[in-house]
Amino acid sequence: MTPPSASALLEAKALTREFDEGHVKALRGVDFSIKEGDFVAIVGPSGCGKSTLLQLLGALDRPTSGTLFYRGISLPDHPNPAAYRAREVGFIFQAFHLLPTFTAAENVQIPMFETDRSASERRERAFELLKLVGLEHRLDHFPSKLSGGERQRVAIARSLANEPSLLLADEPTGNLDSENAHSVFDLIISLQQEQGRTMVLVTHDPTIAGRAGRTLRMMDGRIVSDDKR
Amino acid sequence: MTFFTVVIRGLWRRPLRTGLTLAGISIGIAAVVALVGMSRGFEKGWQVGLKARGTDIVVSNRGGSLTPKPFDASVRDRIAGLPHIAATCNLLVEVTSVEESDLMILSAREWGGFAWNNLELVSGRMPRDATEEAAVLGQTAAEVLKKKIGDPIQIETKKLTVVGIVKGGALVEDGSVILSLPLLQGIIGAPNQINAIDIGVTPSTTEQQIKELTRQIEQLVPEVRAVTVSEHLSHNEGFRLVKAMSWGTSLLAILVGVLGVMNTMLMTVFERTHEICVLLAVGWTRGRIMRMILYESALLGLFGGVIGVAIGAIGVQVLSATPAIKGLLQPDLSIALLGLSVVIAIAVGIISGLYPAWRSSRLNPSQALQAG
Repeated sequence: MTPPSASALLEAKALTREFDEGHVKALRGVDFSIKEGDFVAIVGPSGCGKSTLLQLLGALDRPTSGTLFYRGISLPDHPNPAAYRAREVGFIFQAFHLLPTFTAAENVQIPMFETDRSASERRERAFELLKLVGLEHRLDHFPSKLSGGERQRVAIARSLANEPSLLLADEPTGNLDSENAHSVFDLIISLQQEQGRTMVLVTHDPTIAGRAGRTLRMMDGRIVSDDKR
Repeated sequence: MTFFTVVIRGLWRRPLRTGLTLAGISIGIAAVVALVGMSRGFEKGWQVGLKARGTDIVVSNRGGSLTPKPFDASVRDRIAGLPHIAATCNLLVEVTSVEESDLMILSAREWGGFAWNNLELVSGRMPRDATEEAAVLGQTAAEVLKKKIGDPIQIETKKLTVVGIVKGGALVEDGSVILSLPLLQGIIGAPNQINAIDIGVTPSTTEQQIKELTRQIEQLVPEVRAVTVSEHLSHNEGFRLVKAMSWGTSLLAILVGVLGVMNTMLMTVFERTHEICVLLAVGWTRGRIMRMILYESALLGLFGGVIGVAIGAIGVQVLSATPAIKGLLQPDLSIALLGLSVVIAIAVGIISGLYPAWRSSRLNPSQALQAG
């Protein structure tokens, strides 16, 4: 195992991920390093492996081979991947993935069960976060009563619940109309810039990718270009 | 919002299914309460009945049926001389159909024996002598048979007259048709045959001495069995059968309950695969997911248990008031039995939740959350 370089937040070497006993090769050897505070866009055609890569970064999945380190700790060998997901990572999905039987405020509180916060602290923090995303008037609404843009804002508030260092967003505006997509994306950018979080964002929208500090272009399970601005 | 809110929300997700599952568990638990409560009540009723007529030891033939086999009345003379015996009373007890009632206790007692002493006349009179063709009825028996003083009553082939209605101080006594021993022996054509001897001991006799006395009786007359009142029913094979059947049926009901809850919880895990994967993605541990499912199923058990105990308790009261069995059983619904039933229900919930909980914790979040 190659030792990770000290300054990197995330570092991958020769990362592969195969499915179906090797018949499907989603990642065919990926190398990169992401520093703290970076805003990285991953672009490429459908099926190029960008979502698979994002899931590996979030410890939702394990690589077939290669190494992947987060702050010098090997993610595939992480002793407690749930704690990593709860405290270090915030996920924002294309399909929002809110829980339908919980209100906006309750959805934001869900990740906080893995922390020491009391019930009242959880409620307060959820209120603050929903205020931050402009939904303080929608606390007790169920997802079915919210618009697409509002749902994604709730999901963004949820991703920030435990103050993660790393935000992983998978096509966060893919299910939204252009007006909503625009305002949600502005919100994501402001959160990244104001709070200095590391952000890895999968998209195939070139205008969105254009606003990231760095673009990794993928094709057939490999990184084919790495543009920094 | 607390973890408990999450659990409740899970159950509330499909109210109809949760309701049907609750109905399933509660019917099972109601069966436990009803069957076990009735068999215990039956046992207790006989015990109280025996004590009420001043009996400490019952001597009867070794036999398997609910009423013991007949034996010769002379047995009494062989044991009457043993120490500590204050009084004896020969009996012939049958459980048989009398007129409209399918199950009636016929209790024929030696004329002048102590078993007559605790009967308190409510109306009418006692038979004049051993051979008067008359019977007295316990209060409940009179009610069930719809008899009043002076009415005829058909016992086997003989028509007797109801001359008195009595209060016996116990359910079994109140539910019996009581007549003199020679009369019943004559009716069924079995002179000198009895199937039980009630023995009362002298007041100062200790529990130890009573035990010793039963041993001596069995030594002296090997064909009979002498047991203290409290042991009487636990030695009765017929009663043991009743008890085994009530627990057996209950167990079956519980098993059906387990399968019902397990099915529901498995369905809920399959249905909520996506939600569970979201929970895993936002950092919930597999342990917390398992706890969520287990609490849900334990809660189903608790609610089902409480509802089941209520249904069982009410049902058994209604049942014991029906004419067919009125007076035969007074269900014994002790707090211990009701508590045990709820505990069983919670255990049913937890056991049924184990496999679904394990399944839920094995879900892989990455596939369910692929974009789209």
